[in-house]
Amino acid sequence: MDQLKEMLQNKYPAIDFDSEKKLTSSGILDSMAVVNIIAEIENLFDISVTMEYIQPKYFESVETMWEMVEELM
Amino acid sequence: MSYQSFGFLFFSAAVLLLYYLLGKKLQRWVLAVANLVFYTVAGPQYLPFILVTMLATFFTGKKMGGIYEAAETQLAACTTPAEKKAVKANAKKKAKTALIIGMAVTIALLAVCKYTGFVMRNINQILKLFHAPKLPVFKLILPLGISFYSFMALSYVLDVFWKRYPAETNFLNYAVYLSYFPHVVQGPIDRFNEFNAQIQDGVKFDSKNLVFGSELLLFGLFKKLVIADRLAPFVTHAFGFWKETNGAFLFVAMLAYSVQIYADFSGCIDIVTGVSEMFGIKLRKNFNHPYFSKTMGEFWRRWHISLQEWFKDYVYYPVSASGLMRKAKKHFNQKNKPRAAELFSSCFPILVVWLITGIWHGASWNYIIWGIYHAILLIGSQIFSPLFQKANQRLKINVSSPLWKFWQMTRTFLLCGFGRIFFRANSVTGALGYFGQMFTQFSFKALFTPLYNGLKNVYSYFTSSGSITSFWLKLRPELNRDFGLGITPANIMMALVTILILWCVDMLQEKHSLRESLLRKHIIIRWTIIFAGLFAVIVFGVYGPGYNAKSFIYEQF
Repeated sequence: MDQLKEMLQNKYPAIDFDSEKKLTSSGILDSMAVVNIIAEIENLFDISVTMEYIQPKYFESVETMWEMVEELM
Repeated sequence: MSYQSFGFLFFSAAVLLLYYLLGKKLQRWVLAVANLVFYTVAGPQYLPFILVTMLATFFTGKKMGGIYEAAETQLAACTTPAEKKAVKANAKKKAKTALIIGMAVTIALLAVCKYTGFVMRNINQILKLFHAPKLPVFKLILPLGISFYSFMALSYVLDVFWKRYPAETNFLNYAVYLSYFPHVVQGPIDRFNEFNAQIQDGVKFDSKNLVFGSELLLFGLFKKLVIADRLAPFVTHAFGFWKETNGAFLFVAMLAYSVQIYADFSGCIDIVTGVSEMFGIKLRKNFNHPYFSKTMGEFWRRWHISLQEWFKDYVYYPVSASGLMRKAKKHFNQKNKPRAAELFSSCFPILVVWLITGIWHGASWNYIIWGIYHAILLIGSQIFSPLFQKANQRLKINVSSPLWKFWQMTRTFLLCGFGRIFFRANSVTGALGYFGQMFTQFSFKALFTPLYNGLKNVYSYFTSSGSITSFWLKLRPELNRDFGLGITPANIMMALVTILILWCVDMLQEKHSLRESLLRKHIIIRWTIIFAGLFAVIVFGVYGPGYNAKSFIYEQF
């Protein structure tokens, strides 16, 4: 998860990924940001994010994103 | 049965009475019958279309549900990861076949009913180039709400396919969802799981729902009848006679149309959301004060939200996750162009989404150009965003100042307005002509001369009248005189006052729920405000003998 957090923090330095738990529902991450994060995650973990996982609930926080990564690995 | 008609209000009241009187167990049946009656009254010829979509998507969902269930049983018996993978892949393949059938039926009905004429006309244009004989252009019926219920049906089958929730096995639940009379004509485009969860166990009567729903319904009627329908004749005149109208008035008509379409569409959504709230069913939010948006991206997250979210979930993300996109991104990354990969992966899906958004709105090149216009704006803001930020820093612009925010809101409002010329004009040529006339024949003098003359007349009546009665008798004909623009001075003043009220209400709602704060007010204050709203709708609404209530703009889509 640290690797994921580091990538996100580098990409979006203005967002506090430790405290933000509603990244998509509060509009901090828009659909374009989600698409870019998916691309980064796919590169980083060599996985393919399928449509089942492309839902706002999986991008709400680092924890939910990690949950998705674990399920896909 | 238009949503602003007395017929609809009486119909809703009667259904509401039965809904709560017959008890929780029969509520879904009451809604199903009400939906059927509503749709039949609208046009019995439309019924087979919605029924085919309903049956096709319901059985597609059921089939996919069965496939996934069987796969789960098989998975329990699997011992190796390879076996599990094979079972999953097989289930997905079978489900995909079912999905394609369900989607094909839904899309085919929508496409045939909505786009046959458009396609035939374009084919004829091409044939004309080769001096070939014309093909006949069929004029097919456009079933009421087909664009909306088809999208709801598609969202259901796709969600089941992606296992976002299980397939529905009870046809009644699905039928109530797809044909629910408050959302079937103009949306919001609801999602099955959210809707179904609210009707599953029945709804207990709550007076708060009734009060909140009535308030929203009243505000919707105010927007539609007092504002939108008052501006409609002026806008219709400007777009119909743009060649004879001064550019300054065309510019004002463009602004007026932005207000009209907002008051019209959000008014309709308030009416149906209010009615639905009385049934204890919350519909998806469709508007969030869009004219306070500072960027185009923000505007489209606040305007017609249920449609934008539909496109995001069922077009934008699938296109982004498609094999083509992955290949393209890989290609850019291999060439060590990460910025290009990022831009392509976020911009190409925008173009696809906006092309389809344009086509969804209507079978005309106007809408397609309108869609492309928004795609260009959104992609442009994505590409040039770093550049704009740098420019702001260099120019030392305080981006958090109220003045800058006001400029951003004005800019967004104007950009939307320019695009809407394509949306409202009868043809592309008409839209281009409107633009040309607006910019080349613009004269402030033409705009302010009637205003100056009017004020001068008022002043002369005032000074020459001995009493208030004689002043009023002289002024009255002046206020109701149509000076050739489809709107009278009285209506202009009324429009300005009511737009100000709408703006103030939207401003207050940006901060907190007005209905909640109204509920906390003393009963006398609360009812005074409600009666004032009702009074405004009855007295200032644009209707009366000989008045033909205008359809909602989005009803045609």
